[in-house]
Amino acid sequence: MRHVIIGAGAAGLTAARRIRELDSTAEIVVISRDEHVHSRCMLHKYLSGERDERTLNFVSPDFFEKNRITWIKSAEVQAIVPDRKNVVLGDNQMVCYDKLLIATGADSFIPPVGDFRTAGNVFGLRNLSDAQEIVKHIKPQGKVIIVGSGLVGMDAAYGLLEKKMDVTVVEMADRILPIQLDEAAGNEYKKLFEKAGCKFILNRKASETILDSQNNVSQLILDDKTVLDCDVIIVAAGVRPAIACTIESGIDVEKNIKVNEYMETSVRDIYAAGDVAGMSGIWPNAMKQGCTAAENMCGNRTAYEDTYAMKNTINFFGLVTLSLGRGQVQEGDKVVIREDSKCYKRAIIREDKLDSVLLQGNMDYAGVYQYLIKNNIKLKAEDDIFKKSFADYYKVRTDGQYEYNL
Amino acid sequence: MKRIMIDYMKCDGCKNCTAACMQAHREEQGTIYDLDLTDPKNESRNHILSDGRGGYRPIFCRHCDLPECVMSCMSGALSKDSVTGVVSYDVNKCGSCFMCVMNCPYGVLKPDTLTRTKVIKCDFCMEKGGEPSCVKNCPKKAIWVEEVQA
Ligand SMILES: Cc1cc2nc3c(=O)[nH]c(=O)nc-3n(C[C@H](O)[C@H](O)[C@H](O)COP(=O)(O)OP(=O)(O)OC[C@H]3O[C@@H](n4cnc5c(N)ncnc54)[C@H](O)[C@@H]3O)c2cc1C
Ligand code: SF4
Ligand code: SF4
Repeated sequence: MRHVIIGAGAAGLTAARRIRELDSTAEIVVISRDEHVHSRCMLHKYLSGERDERTLNFVSPDFFEKNRITWIKSAEVQAIVPDRKNVVLGDNQMVCYDKLLIATGADSFIPPVGDFRTAGNVFGLRNLSDAQEIVKHIKPQGKVIIVGSGLVGMDAAYGLLEKKMDVTVVEMADRILPIQLDEAAGNEYKKLFEKAGCKFILNRKASETILDSQNNVSQLILDDKTVLDCDVIIVAAGVRPAIACTIESGIDVEKNIKVNEYMETSVRDIYAAGDVAGMSGIWPNAMKQGCTAAENMCGNRTAYEDTYAMKNTINFFGLVTLSLGRGQVQEGDKVVIREDSKCYKRAIIREDKLDSVLLQGNMDYAGVYQYLIKNNIKLKAEDDIFKKSFADYYKVRTDGQYEYNL
Repeated sequence: MKRIMIDYMKCDGCKNCTAACMQAHREEQGTIYDLDLTDPKNESRNHILSDGRGGYRPIFCRHCDLPECVMSCMSGALSKDSVTGVVSYDVNKCGSCFMCVMNCPYGVLKPDTLTRTKVIKCDFCMEKGGEPSCVKNCPKKAIWVEEVQA
């Protein structure tokens, strides 16, 4: 049996490892555009110089050898041909499969603002290759504009502030990290970033660009006609599932590759997992989907159940935050806010169930909250939501594992 | 694999296990008598919760069969050893994202209080021979090590 996996990210390599655990004789081939295995969640540490190609690796250096996996790196899959059960690489090399997993992740979305898509100094931040390009282009004290203040944008800002760059973040919402945080929590980070020299322009959109003779954007113009000088622009305006290689393959694709609960696509023997499958855009879920895909590729019918994906943790300047849920208050919700000098907490309780929780400053032992939300656990009227712990549901199984006693 | 088993009915909340864990993982050598229990450098990997009615609930890492913390780790710092079953943590690999803290369903993990750069995680005292200090110091035998089916 030959398993071919496109992508050496969270989903792809988790699947490869699991297939090897399940089947010691299967042939496993991983194909990736990436030259180095790297954790995207740590790219800001590459920008800052804290980590390099080697220390961004999230598997052991002997991963491919130890697990007897053939890794075709720096290779792009151009097409998938289900009729012949093969995939076609950029150099027209063909790789045959019995089972195929598409774990291609996502690509940065670069909006068609001015010359963003063609200029030489405008980058997304998704791949190590992006970070390498950014590092090549920045000069000491250079002016960097970051478009978008989501997690990726703030990661980029964080990394480049460490490098003592002159960083300006442009955000169209009225606060930073608008999806994960409310105003109070966002402001705490804003203050810390400003203390480190970061500038913010909120409620503004990038609208036009002015190019220099080398096809680089030298000035960015905002929707209120503000003109900003720049050496480099990083666009952190979201991602799109990386579906390019599925075009004309017959696989059912809309914005993302459509999969059922077994991570199967519409085409037999082809599976998809991770960001490309459109169910989530976070690392833990990509790993789990990769694992579920591997089970099914090896013939163990296993449904993917962990569909909850509205969860994030943030750690900038040692200020930690846990954010679960949409954080949007509806009529009839109970909102509980608690604050002290070190900590800000907000919970939204809807129909006696926890809908969202935000913990900033202290997230010790906070893993229980995700369980409460995911499993729709009913709270009692007298419960103090910020005092919930596993003690409230405590059960030890005979094999010593914990279990929720509901 | 070996697991620290728990009979919470026997626990009387004395926190000898907690002090033993702090002692086992302290940076400077010393005896339990000069261990500063209030120094945030000396954090315990286990903790004891009260049930509010005079009873106690010991919270110890289960080194789970399917560890959610490992399945959320983006740096490779957390891994489950296929031979010993121990879920171990490599502080040098850790990227301090704390997704593992969010994902441990039992609220076992926390970021270190002092620097928020590392995770406070049970290591089964592997460097000290794999005999957990907490177990050795429980006067009530509320925790003990047992070989279990993984
Ligand atoms: C800067 C940044 C910070 C992040 N921080 C966090 C965080 O803190 N927490 C969190 O949960 N998530 C975070 N994420 C998101 C997380 O990285 C992704 O959800 C995760 O990487 C998805 O895994 P994946 O396996 O689906 O795809 P990816 O990890 O993106 O892997 C895709 C793989 O496919 C390869 N590939 C793509 N197309 C082709 C092709 N045609 N041919 C060959 N190979 C191809 C790529 O080279 C790559 O190896 C962050 C992302 C970024 C960019
Ligand atoms: S930290 Fe939590 S999830 Fe991880 S092994 Fe321990 S108990 Fe299990
Ligand atoms: S904090 Fe460290 S150990 Fe925990 S998930 Fe992040 S990288 Fe892994």
